[in-house]
Amino acid sequence: MDDHVLNVDNITKRIGKKEIIKGISFHIDKGQIFGFLGPNGAGKSTTLRMIVGLLKPTSGKITICGHSISTSFTSAMANVGCIIEEPDFYNYATGMKNLEMLASMSRNVTRKDIFHAVELVGMENRIGDRVSTYSRGMKQRLGLAQALLHNPGLLVLDEPTNGLDPQGIFEFRELVKTLSLEKNISILLSSHIISEIQLMCTRVSIIRDGLLIKTADVKDLLSSSEVYWVLDEPEKGKAFLKERFDINSRLKGNRIEATMDLNELESVNSSIVQEGFGLKYVNSKTRTLEELFLDLTENQEIT
Amino acid sequence: MYKLIQNEISKIFLKKKMVLIAVLLFLFIGLFSYGEKYTYEKTVIRFEEITQDSTYDWKNLADQQMRELERRLDSAYISETGIRSIQIQIEQMKYFIENDINPITPSSARFSVNFVENAIILFIPLMIIILASDLVSGEFSTRTIKLLLTRSVARWKVLLSKYIALLMMTTIVILMIGVISTLESYMFFGLAGFDEPVATGFNLVNGVLDSNSVIMVNRMEYMVLIYSLAWFVSMVIASITFMISVLVKSTAASIGIVMASLIGGQFLQFFLSDWEIIKYFFVSNLNLIRYMTGSYQFIEGMTMKFSISVLGVWSLLSIVVSFIVFSRKDVLA
Repeated sequence: MDDHVLNVDNITKRIGKKEIIKGISFHIDKGQIFGFLGPNGAGKSTTLRMIVGLLKPTSGKITICGHSISTSFTSAMANVGCIIEEPDFYNYATGMKNLEMLASMSRNVTRKDIFHAVELVGMENRIGDRVSTYSRGMKQRLGLAQALLHNPGLLVLDEPTNGLDPQGIFEFRELVKTLSLEKNISILLSSHIISEIQLMCTRVSIIRDGLLIKTADVKDLLSSSEVYWVLDEPEKGKAFLKERFDINSRLKGNRIEATMDLNELESVNSSIVQEGFGLKYVNSKTRTLEELFLDLTENQEIT
Repeated sequence: MYKLIQNEISKIFLKKKMVLIAVLLFLFIGLFSYGEKYTYEKTVIRFEEITQDSTYDWKNLADQQMRELERRLDSAYISETGIRSIQIQIEQMKYFIENDINPITPSSARFSVNFVENAIILFIPLMIIILASDLVSGEFSTRTIKLLLTRSVARWKVLLSKYIALLMMTTIVILMIGVISTLESYMFFGLAGFDEPVATGFNLVNGVLDSNSVIMVNRMEYMVLIYSLAWFVSMVIASITFMISVLVKSTAASIGIVMASLIGGQFLQFFLSDWEIIKYFFVSNLNLIRYMTGSYQFIEGMTMKFSISVLGVWSLLSIVVSFIVFSRKDVLA
């Protein structure tokens, strides 16, 4: 368990009388880009805030690189860099001054590290200007620079592309991917934008109303595909699929619908024909994360 | 830790707070010292007109002022407390004349002390509020608190560095008041007067002035004494404002709360002086200097020792509450 960069063990959070997080567990491995997907108000931000120590969990345990954030806060936080919601800075100071002040709060961050972080996010030209003159995109870059100053093993990004223009989003995405590949940093990022998670993450958790609905590799989620057949004898066909291939299917009108690995479709089809069914039509489609998400979160009232 | 304090101090300077305070001090002290020079010159002219005598002497003027006070005592419309306050003033004046202490001619040493005497209940606290009110709440309203509390530094250290920075800056403000008021008033009066004698240690026994314990010091020593008291009071104000700044999220609210207590507290002293509990309120105890000058007390039974203990307890509680609340606080901003 201790080799996980981040381990979240059954955390809950109660604010006032309302239980906002109702028991969430997951873990992140080294170098993984982990997506946290959910509608607004699902508890993404609250969970991330607990991970970076801004909120205290009501119960449960969070460990970062083996250090519990409740018992050894400083050693745990030495391994985390984060941008929570907006990238806010001391607007009256220059970007450089901001970074210097924040760098002095971590051990062993040299001027070289600061320059390196600035270089990495491409802010060399404007770092000497006051933050109040920065655009949203520049603040986001500075935010990333401050999160990377102390070479953390885990980067926590809360809705990082909120308010960026398409160009900014694209650049930011490339930057994050580069970081993960080159520096082997684990990244936890939350978003309500599905395409973003699909493009960046290797693993995703879907959260709703303070509960994790599903955690899986993005690849697996997407490769499980919907297939349907139109046969002359749907009832018998359904039984056959179950019996021969252990495929659970359901009947919808004259269609037999099932979720299965597309690689097996060919052999399934030839068996159907060999068995003597009249195969009128077969179709398959790859689901997008969006459909999956809507599927999982649909028909649920806001409580 | 040292670096954290350095950060906090550079934030205060970057926000140009010290510049603001210096400018305010410069303007107000200039205004007051000009005003004092103006009234002094007026008094001398009036004295010369009334006595038809062009040889002005402070003793004669003091004598006349004393008689003026005695005449006011005979007025039928004066209240009980007013009578006692005037009696104390007369006693003091008598003592000054008998012991050859000049209480009238303005000098820069006298002004810088008088200024603090008057500023200690409102003006100096106001300067401290400028420093302290947004120290913590400001981080919340700009949401930069996230940057501070997600570093590998314990929360209490973050708060302690802010507190230490605040105490350092408060000390500098008191020094600034001393330097600016001495220099600026010297420009107006042209008289330093640091070697003049001062009578201090007047006691009030049952509302009557007791000059038995009076000791004579020179102006310089007296100034150091008064400024130390002002420094102590400022530390107390700083601690209380600091706590308010931890407790509320908005800077405007923290300024409002401290200002309201300061002004409201003064009113309470005037109007509810026989309500026992008022003397445990910090505002009622801010004017430590009046114990040195023997001026009239609104509330009976208050002594220097009592006030210092009350203020001490208030600051201690403020610090404890600040640290407990801050280290447990959920950051939702």
